[in-house]
Amino acid sequence: MKPTEANFEASGELAAMAAGASRPDLRDPQVVLSLLEADQVVAAKRRTRFGRRDFSFGMRALLWGLRIYVVVMLVMVLVSVVRALHGAP
Amino acid sequence: MDDVKSAAKSMPYRPARPTTEAAAESAESGEMARLLTHEDLDRAADRWQVARARGAGRRAKMGGRLRVLWLLVGPGVLVFLGENDAPSMLSYSADGARYGVGFFLPFVVLTFLMGFIVQEMTVRLGAVTHRGHAELIFDRFGRFWGFFAMADLILGNFLTLVTEFIGVRAGLGFFGIRPVVAVGSGLLIVMAAIATGRYWTWERITLGLAIFNGLFIPAALLAHPAWHEVGRAMVTWNPLPAGNRYEILVLMLATIGATVTPWMLFFQQSAVVDKGMQPRDVAAGRFDTVLGACLAAVFAMATILATAPLFHHGIDATRFQAAEFAQALEPWIGHAGAAMFALGIFEAGIVAAIAISTSSAYAFGEVFQTGHSLNRPLREAWGFYFILLGSACTAAALVLIPRAPLEFIVLTVNVIAVLAMPPALVFLLLLVNDHEVMGDQVNGRWANVAGVAVTVLLVCAGMGFGLATVFPKMLGG
Repeated sequence: MKPTEANFEASGELAAMAAGASRPDLRDPQVVLSLLEADQVVAAKRRTRFGRRDFSFGMRALLWGLRIYVVVMLVMVLVSVVRALHGAP
Repeated sequence: MDDVKSAAKSMPYRPARPTTEAAAESAESGEMARLLTHEDLDRAADRWQVARARGAGRRAKMGGRLRVLWLLVGPGVLVFLGENDAPSMLSYSADGARYGVGFFLPFVVLTFLMGFIVQEMTVRLGAVTHRGHAELIFDRFGRFWGFFAMADLILGNFLTLVTEFIGVRAGLGFFGIRPVVAVGSGLLIVMAAIATGRYWTWERITLGLAIFNGLFIPAALLAHPAWHEVGRAMVTWNPLPAGNRYEILVLMLATIGATVTPWMLFFQQSAVVDKGMQPRDVAAGRFDTVLGACLAAVFAMATILATAPLFHHGIDATRFQAAEFAQALEPWIGHAGAAMFALGIFEAGIVAAIAISTSSAYAFGEVFQTGHSLNRPLREAWGFYFILLGSACTAAALVLIPRAPLEFIVLTVNVIAVLAMPPALVFLLLLVNDHEVMGDQVNGRWANVAGVAVTVLLVCAGMGFGLATVFPKMLGG
């Protein structure tokens, strides 16, 4: 859902604000819930998962390629640092 | 707290979907009301402040809007000023001292543009999913790839954290303060920032410290830069750096690594989540990120300008460390200027130490599903605070070991950050293009073009570095 002014009204934020005087009563769970989104509450996040996404062959190859790239480059860094510390040109 | 965990675990998992529905209106609101935590209450209090400012903003246009921005600004400014850390300032100092006013000024602006492109994506990811980067990678791509991403993050974060304490020690060392006292003070500031058990307070304390990154501006002004040279460099990218091409390539890589690094992705997304930002806050989050990038770019350019006198006077800065730059600059920018430079290095180390140790703690909590919020008291998130303080203390202790290979770490940390960035960017691009995760906030075509361009550029820069290391003669080095 795209965030719009309508969602803002619907979210209950304004209602909670209007209902409260100078500060909201956070002892009232309904006030707390009206200020947070449904998937923002800690307990709600604990029970939901986006679920595993499968990679295509091409994507797996790209990720493995980048993994090898990182390892090779780290070796290069090690070589260059050893050279630098020994004052080689 | 244990009740919440067990109650939540006993419920069946259901697929997550991005939503802007208020929790009070959801089907499970009754259940949720029973399971509210301290973290939820603090976050709701922050959201109420934003809602009240938005309401006021409708009546009193400008003032209300500024108040909304004031409340929502934070993660973007912190991530960019945090990345203007000790090794980054050292890289910028080396740019100015070794090559003067020229190519590196506009190059720094380009690196911050690259930084903005990728960091903006983390704002949307955090605001829409309410989940941290590590949590999403594990959730969506599985433990196998998740642990690879974590290994890159933890290695990079720890090495960077060590360099931050090197900066803290060197910055205060300029004033004759003993290393143990300097490093101990740094640790006390990290502890003070988290002592309140409240994200909002932590963020404001750290932002207050981060503003001192601006100390490099008076230091630059005291160097009396030739503004026509600055203007010409910004337009023409000239003069180009001359000399050992291998050293220039390494310095370019370190300068990129001073702006675009994996910890920034993880930190900003987790901070956006901890701040409680929602999809309607994305525009403000974008502004926050632009503001952070602009401030950090200006401070980085000021550092180059402040150290340019060393280039003009032919001082060899090849082996300079942070405090040595301040000492070497004293004849040209005076004691006050050099002191500001040294304080700037101290500040850069402290702010980054706070941000990077928090980034590691967020990632740990997200992966192991333990409490991971600065809104939680110690008893509810001891693992989070243990990692935060434990990583900072270990890094600080390493800096105090006599004859530890600190130069090795300083030389490599920014280069390692650049090399580890492409895989992190691929995961980021996969996540922001995932409709199931992002809903309507999925990446647009131009954001993808820019994101892929940054990734390809970083891979090419890394491969250039690798080839030049294996074949030094290729660059005439």
